[in-house]
Amino acid sequence: MKRNTVVLGVVLFILAVFAWAGWANYEFRKQAADKRLADAAHAELTAAAGDPQAALDPMIGKAAPAFSLEDLSGRKVSLADYKGKAVLVNFWATWCGPCKIETPWLVELRNQYAPKGFEILGISAEGDDLAPSDKDGWAKDKAAIGKFVQEEHMPYPVLIDGDSLSKPYGGLDAMPTSFFLDRNGKIVAATMGITSKDDIESNIRKALGS
Amino acid sequence: MRRVSIISVIVFGLWTAGGFAQVQETEKPAHTGAKMEAVQYLYPEQVTVTAGKATAVAMHFRIKEGLHINAHAPKEEYLIPTVLSIPDSSGVRLEWAEYPAGKEFVLPVDPSTKLIVYTGEFAIQTRIVAQAGDHMVEAKLRYQACDDNACLPPKTITVPIDVVGK
Repeated sequence: MKRNTVVLGVVLFILAVFAWAGWANYEFRKQAADKRLADAAHAELTAAAGDPQAALDPMIGKAAPAFSLEDLSGRKVSLADYKGKAVLVNFWATWCGPCKIETPWLVELRNQYAPKGFEILGISAEGDDLAPSDKDGWAKDKAAIGKFVQEEHMPYPVLIDGDSLSKPYGGLDAMPTSFFLDRNGKIVAATMGITSKDDIESNIRKALGS
Repeated sequence: MRRVSIISVIVFGLWTAGGFAQVQETEKPAHTGAKMEAVQYLYPEQVTVTAGKATAVAMHFRIKEGLHINAHAPKEEYLIPTVLSIPDSSGVRLEWAEYPAGKEFVLPVDPSTKLIVYTGEFAIQTRIVAQAGDHMVEAKLRYQACDDNACLPPKTITVPIDVVGK
């Protein structure tokens, strides 16, 4: 009788342990799911490695990656062609509202500082992953880019296929993204997103070394 | 015999508790630095409709806090609108879709620029016609998201919905 009681007690204890383990596991999974939901509800323009601005910061002080892209007339334009000048490499897209807002500022600042040896390379990165063989797609993109250039009276070179520079230029996860290069091609500042005309001018002056 | 039974129960219990502990160890929340979609489809996952007859279905989405997407009818031609579509081969036809009107949004950096956007949760009212049978439809939602200062590239997400035509 006493032995039966002990056996029963042990079995009940073990069942209680099972029940507790199951409840604890359920609670943990529920809390983890709630945390994932809360994290997902908070917006971050994050690249696979983290904050996109943080992805640009390591590039400051380093030589800008070389590139050679076509302009709207099919002419090849290389970054190397502008050695000796301070350059703003400005990635933008036709669907980007902040890009449309900052473009008149860029035009004005380019005209103001061009006599001092400053140029802008406006690189369109439409983010539509067109295959080289997609003639219709490229024609449509070029038409949209050409229209934008005309409407905004952009006096500086506008290059296409900016998406091909995504990897060397920090991912290009959001537009606009700007890199300010000094006369030796070193990146002195990089920004993701629209800032202000004053900020842009300040970075241009930094690139000019003034 | 009884002793063997008790030992077996204890060993099984320890093994199970150890298994739970392992599950707890591996159930870590996803790394918060991972890229996440700006727009998430919420529901419904499954609808049952009368085959051949147009049926109203409201499809619900959530936009990440701090982001907005262009409305279906944005103010400017260059903006990419939000559009829902259903592939022709799915066995389900999208007869029409009614999008929310959207809210006016002013960019902080340029108060003269006014956009029409969706934020938070929104629903697209649709009328669909399904053939008889079970159709695992991969509808598509195309959108383009921005925050106050920068824009993500246009994106098309798959909207999975199981449509049963009876």
